[in-house]
Amino acid sequence: MANLKDLKTRINSVKSTQKITSAMKMVAAAKLRRAQESAEANRPYSFRMQQVISGLASKAIKATAPELLIGREIVQTHLLIVVSADKGLCGGFNGSIARQTRLEIKRLEKEGKSVLLYMIGKKAADNLRRDIKDKIFGRVENLQGSDLDYNKVDTVSQEILTGFNDIYFDQVSIIYNQFVNAITQNVVSKPLIPVQLNDDKEDTGASNYEYEPDENELLEQLLPRNITTQIYSALLESFAAELAARMTAMDNATRNAGDMIDSLTLVYNRTRQANITKELIEIISGAEAL
Amino acid sequence: MADAIKLEIVTPSRMLFSDSVEMVVIPGSEGEFGVLPRHAPTLANLQRGALNVYNNGTVTRRFLIEGGVADVLPERVIVLAERAVDLDAVSTQNLDEQLVNATEAEAAFVNAAKEAV
Repeated sequence: MANLKDLKTRINSVKSTQKITSAMKMVAAAKLRRAQESAEANRPYSFRMQQVISGLASKAIKATAPELLIGREIVQTHLLIVVSADKGLCGGFNGSIARQTRLEIKRLEKEGKSVLLYMIGKKAADNLRRDIKDKIFGRVENLQGSDLDYNKVDTVSQEILTGFNDIYFDQVSIIYNQFVNAITQNVVSKPLIPVQLNDDKEDTGASNYEYEPDENELLEQLLPRNITTQIYSALLESFAAELAARMTAMDNATRNAGDMIDSLTLVYNRTRQANITKELIEIISGAEAL
Repeated sequence: MADAIKLEIVTPSRMLFSDSVEMVVIPGSEGEFGVLPRHAPTLANLQRGALNVYNNGTVTRRFLIEGGVADVLPERVIVLAERAVDLDAVSTQNLDEQLVNATEAEAAFVNAAKEAV
């Protein structure tokens, strides 16, 4: 039978764990609101940018259009940008990113392409360490929350553009967690180079646009910017999703700790009662023997 | 009242301005151009410069913007700017604070904003 002192220690340790998890949940919830706001504030910009590019792309002359838009004919190497969190304790958040990345790598290699990776955030890189050690193109950490700003993302995208221009890779896509709501996050994989065009939309009257300067020059200016914008918005989404995932995970942990405390307390009380009963029996039978 | 055109100034971090205005002068890379209601549809690249909003014939709001594109339609203008500040809402002091941990490109922009304020 478990002894009382051990049980007491056990209960206390679970209680302090519960305090930590519930504090973490609270912190995540508070931060989530801000992160969600900034992710939503960015949506008009990235949405408009996408619209403008699609409009332009439909006008651009195919033969002279920049490679960033239409891609290269022969694709040998594919760069995956993997966005994960710097911290753990957020449920399946980092795990699902790592799993998706593994799948993508397998798929691309089956198509006969080689894969390079650009890791943003610490956790997925740690998780995938063994699969990827010879595939790393670049790696950054501390690019989330208050540390995230447009200029830093711009440095990352410059690095990627230089890599593209030097033909280290011919295609780029980004894998990240998209924030849907506080309980749902979706892992998405989105192509960046070549640009994915949504041609389902009827652009009204866009055909008589005047361009200043001409289409191709505009595209050359806009496409690199679009890359930065897309990465930036992926990072904002991912951070909001991370906080949401952490909030849910910590909520579960707090509840589990509560259950555990209940059942441990029950055992503790039973044991205590059993001890008392045993002592009573000893006294009574001792008295009877006299 | 004269015709009005809807102006939106959007940066990656937020919507800076969204209202109907009489005229707006935009710093395009090929030169400044004014936009009145019923302007021909235009897509223009931007350079760093002042964006002035006119109402009743005078400048009512001033912004400094950098990098991006302006999407002009007869009834609305959307300015997608990489960086933008509202020159009426910032002080030199604010801008000095921003300078502290600014990258090179950002610092150039903030300094230009300081001159314009």
